[in-house]
Amino acid sequence: MENFIPLRIGHDQEPYAAQFLVKWTPKLYVLDYKGTAHHDAMGFFPPDEFVAFLLLGQAKLAFHNDHLDEAQNLFDKLLQEAPASGSAPEAVYLQGVSGFKRSHEAEPLKEVYRRLKLEYPQTSWAQRGFPYWNL
Amino acid sequence: MSEEINWQTKLDEALAKAEQKDRPVLLDFFNPG
Repeated sequence: MENFIPLRIGHDQEPYAAQFLVKWTPKLYVLDYKGTAHHDAMGFFPPDEFVAFLLLGQAKLAFHNDHLDEAQNLFDKLLQEAPASGSAPEAVYLQGVSGFKRSHEAEPLKEVYRRLKLEYPQTSWAQRGFPYWNL
Repeated sequence: MSEEINWQTKLDEALAKAEQKDRPVLLDFFNPG
C-alpha cells in the first residue's frame, strides 16, 4: 500500500459512482494521476490476493504507458511473490506481451503459451495464450 | 483494510498527490453499511 495514494469514496457519491459504474462493493480501481483506470476488481480479497491485485495494477499502469522494463519487473515480482494468486495468469500473459514488445521476438509469446498451459491450464488466460503455440 | 492507512477522501486531491509522488491511486468505493 505504501506505493499507492489510497483514496476512499462512498459507493453512491456522484459523479464518481456513475463514472466508474459502481453497482456493488467493495469495488477497487488502480488509477494514474490523470484519473484513468488501469485495473479494477469487485469483492473482498484475502491479504495475499490483495497484494497481487496491487502489483498487477501497478504493472498494468506501467504496461499501458509503454514503460515495459518497469512493467516486466512488476510482473516478475508478482509471479515470484504470489504465483498461486488469481492475478498470476494475467501477469504471465502480459509479461509475455511485454517481452515481445521489447524484443520483437516470438519467444516470449511462446513462453506465454507454455507456461499458461503448464501452470494455469484451467484459466481463461491459458485459452488466450493458445494461438501462440506455433509461432 | 487496516486502520493505519491514511485515506484521501477527495479525488482531485488524491490525483494531485499521485502526480506529485509519482504513484498510482488505489480508489476504494466503500459502503459504510
